[in-house]
Order: sequence, then structure tokens, then C-alpha cells
Amino acid sequence: MNSRQILEDLNTCFEEAMQRGLGQKGLIFPIDLDNVDDDELKHICVRLAAIFDMLNESYHYSEKLAKGDLKAKPSRTNIFAMPLKGLQASLTHLTWQANQVAEGDLSQQVHFLGRFSDSFNHMIKSLREKEVIEQRLKLISNVIGEGIFLVTSEGKIIFLNPEASRLLGYFPDEIENKFIHEIIHTQRLDGSFYQPGDNPIFNAITHGDKYNNTDGCFTCKSGLLMPVMIACRPVFKEDILDGAVIAFRDITEQKNYLKSLETINSLLEKQASTDTLTGIYNRMKFDEKLMIEIKRAHRYNSPLSFVMFDIDNFKKVNDTYGHLAGDNVLKRLAGLVAANIRDTDIFARWGGEEFVIQLPGLSLARAIIFAEKLRHKIEKYNFKEPEKITVSFGVTVFQARDNNITLTNRADAALYRAKENGRNQVRSSNE
Amino acid sequence: MEKVYNFKWDHLGDLSVGRPNLGKETSVMVYRLMQYTFKDVFSKEIGKQKTIELFVKAGALAGKEFCRNVLDISLPFDEFIAELKEKLVAFKIGILRIEEADKKKLQFVLTVSEDLDCSGLPIFGESVCNYDEGFIAGILKEYTGKKFTAKEIDCWATGDRTCRFEVKAIEG
Repeated sequence: MNSRQILEDLNTCFEEAMQRGLGQKGLIFPIDLDNVDDDELKHICVRLAAIFDMLNESYHYSEKLAKGDLKAKPSRTNIFAMPLKGLQASLTHLTWQANQVAEGDLSQQVHFLGRFSDSFNHMIKSLREKEVIEQRLKLISNVIGEGIFLVTSEGKIIFLNPEASRLLGYFPDEIENKFIHEIIHTQRLDGSFYQPGDNPIFNAITHGDKYNNTDGCFTCKSGLLMPVMIACRPVFKEDILDGAVIAFRDITEQKNYLKSLETINSLLEKQASTDTLTGIYNRMKFDEKLMIEIKRAHRYNSPLSFVMFDIDNFKKVNDTYGHLAGDNVLKRLAGLVAANIRDTDIFARWGGEEFVIQLPGLSLARAIIFAEKLRHKIEKYNFKEPEKITVSFGVTVFQARDNNITLTNRADAALYRAKENGRNQVRSSNE
Repeated sequence: MEKVYNFKWDHLGDLSVGRPNLGKETSVMVYRLMQYTFKDVFSKEIGKQKTIELFVKAGALAGKEFCRNVLDISLPFDEFIAELKEKLVAFKIGILRIEEADKKKLQFVLTVSEDLDCSGLPIFGESVCNYDEGFIAGILKEYTGKKFTAKEIDCWATGDRTCRFEVKAIEG
């Protein structure tokens, strides 16, 4: 073959390749070296054949790289593959970097890869900023003294903070992916179970409503009910309901404190209204009740009788038997009277050995009968030390222009007359 | 003068005083001129293999001193590597990239592109970055406290476009 024929064959080969591409076979060197007689031409053809081999190899190499095969390896002397080797090294490193980032290594940076470097480094910057926000949120969530749940719009628990875990006694993996209305918020404080449709948290979550309850209740893993304060807020993603955040606080101690406060207040109130020796109302409480009964008598025009009584010769009891015996007499008398009045009657120690009774709804005549019966019971009662005592009674009834003072004064005057007339008797304001 | 020379970091001198006009940088050509003429003379004096061994040894000393004086060895591994990459770029030594890393076994495949020693060299058919091999092993030894070997498996001088090193901790 001469040089013209060689060039023509090469031209045909290139023409076909430029029309059809290289395909699987690649460029096939069209010259049979055995047919080239000229040594100089033969050497040129040998180099051309090597170039063809390099082109074919770098073509297949680039194909492999395009498919993501980063282990592909061309021969070292292939001059056409060299820039691709640089690209391959960069891609291999980027693969490693992507894995590092996926494992949380945000120190990765890409240099000298043009716009790709800018994009990658921008992505890392965004991830770092996001990480800072996430760490802050995690810190808040960890140290906050409230339990926090994140639930889906169907009420499925997808996150709980350590405080929620601690308060309810559940490990996260025991409760995640369970429905809050089926495991945590199932009962009311009185122990009754919510029926389908009336579970307030479930309704708030599924409807995207806010919900607050200062007197709610969650069920712990132990089965015990925990009184809680609940705040539920819907979470929206691009205006579509995406779930809810539920914050809660254990208010057991608060409730216990309120309960003990109520007990203390009730005790203090009792102390303030009770005569310490006899346990019946004192004068202050009696006055307070009298004002109420006077108003009621005014409004409904109903009778209200008033009895005042006093132990006869009580000083003699104290002098003879001692003050302790005197106190016992007062206590036994109070007990006897209390046992013989109606629930609606108001009985109090007026002072010393003097007592008073309000008798709502009782006329003067019936109040006199009541006082007489009481006097008789006292007269017959065994007070032990001394065995017998007597009592004098003054009885009156409320009149339209009365106030607490005029009413009391009239009963006191009647009592005075009973004492004057010889004691152990009942006298009324009508006499 | 002592019989042997012991390198110290301050032997690099105060360049801001010493080179007020020319500054602290020079050209890659000058660096390579010195390295490859050394290589020429040494290989003729003591043989090529011994020359290569000495270049690796000198590189390891350089890596140790570079790590002590330029890098922060208190950083966790990922951050240490990130700082190393930055410093290698800042000092225009090369662009370090990691391709594989087994942190438990302390085995790595890493590349240095635009390498100070070899990028742009003709194809010699053999790797030439012996100083780099020592430099990398020296840095990692200083950081981890364990001995390392670094073997260059691809080099610009072997027809690649980046230097690739297999780096391994040596047992024991």
C-alpha cells in the first residue's frame, strides 16, 4: 500500500465513525500492516494504530465514568484519558465527601471545581446553620421542664422529649408510632374512658385546632393517671395540616398543694367559727348566721325564733367542783342541746355559761314549747359533777323592724326575767 | 559546627525581616530545581534506592515539624483533615482529597492534585513523589502517635493527573 491508499482507507474509516459514532467495536484501524512495504510508512502506521487503541480505550473509559464506575482504570500511557483521570479522582473524592456529610461531618469543603465547589460549599453552610438550629432546639427540648410530643395529623407519636419519657415512664421506642389517644390520653381524671369522638386531644389534632386544658390527665406506663396541664398546637406545612405539638406538665404537686390549702383553709375557717371548749359555733359565727336568717325572714316573711339560755348558779359549780368540772358541764350541756335541735337550727356559745339558738321557721309559741322541752331534758340529765344543773331560758321571735341587736336584747330581757322569777324556767318577750 | 545537623523549625528564619522586598514566597520551579538536582547528585553519590529512602525520611521529618508547628493536633480526626486540606492549599503544597478512609484500621487512599513535587512533569514511567510519601506519613504519625507508611500508587509522572497514595498504619 502506498501513502495515498493508506490515507484513503483512513478517510473512509473516519467518515463512517463521524456518521455512525464509535459503537461497541470502536475505531477499527483499517490498515493491514503486512500490506505496507515501506518501512517509514509502516512505523507511522504502527503509531497511528496505537493512537486508535488509546482513543478506543479512553472512549470506553469515559463511558464507564458516565455510568458512575469510579473503579475504571485506563492504561497509564493513554494520553487521551489523562484529563478524565483528574475528573475520576475528583468524583471519587466527592463520593467520599458525600458519605462523610451523611455521617454528620460538616467540615467538608470542595475546592477548585468551579460552580460545583460554590454549590457544595453553600450546601455545607446551610447544613451547618440547620445543625446549629437543631442543636438549639434539641437543647431546649432536653432541658425544658415540660413533656413534649410531636404527633402526626392522625395522632401517631413521632417524637417525645426526655421529660415526657421521664414523666410517663415510657422509653421512646415503646411509644413512638403509637396513637396518643390510644395510649396516653385515654381517660378523664375521674377514671372514665373517652368514647370515640369525644377525646379532646384527638379531636384537636385531627381538626387542626388549638387545645388547652389546665385540668387534664395522661395515663402513665404504670397505668396510674397523672394530672396534667396540656397545650396542643397544630403544625401546618405549606397550609396543610401536618400534625401537632403537645406540651404537658405534671400538676400532681400543684393539685396536692391546692388540696392541702383547702384543708388548711377549712380548718382555719372552722377554728374561726367554733368555740374551742364546746365545739359549737362561737358568737362571731352565730352573728354571721343571724344576719343571714334575718334577711331570709324579711324576704319570705317567715318566723324566726331566738332562744337565749344560761346555767343557773354556774359560779357555784366552779367554786365547788373546780373550773375543770365547770368546763365539763359546759361541754356536756352543749352536746345535749346539739343532740336535741334540728339540722336547720343554729346553736352557739354566747359567752361564759350563756348559749343562744336560732330557730328558723318556728313561731314564738312553738319556740316556747321547744325551750320548755329542752329545759326539762337538762333538768333530768346527769351531768356527773354535779349531777344536776338547771337552766333559765329567754325566748323571743323576729319582728319586722328587728335587727340582730334588738332581737338579742329582747331575748336577753326575757332571760333576765326568768332569772328574776326564780330560775329553771322559760320566759318569753310576749309576757 | 556540630558533626550532624539537627533541624529546628526556627531555622526557617524570620522571612519578614530577611526578605522585606521579595517576601516569603518563591516559585515552584525553584523548589523543583533544588529537589531534582539534589536527587541527581545524591543518586550518583549513594545510589537511587538510598536516595529515595533519604527523601522519604526527610519528608517524614518535614511532616512531623509541619504538624507540630502549623496544625492543631487536638482536633478530632475529621476536623484535623479539614484543617490539613486548608493548610496544604494555603501553603500551595497541593490539593488533598480523600477517596477511601477506614478510621478503625487507619487505612486511607488519598490524592494530592496540583502537587508541588510532580504535577506537570513528563511521564517517567515511575512515581517520583518520595518526599510527599514521607511528608504524609510524618504528619499522620505526629497526629495519631502511630507509625505510618505512605506509598504513591499513581503519579503525574506515571501518566496520571493526580498523585494517589495508599496510607496505612504499621502494626506494633
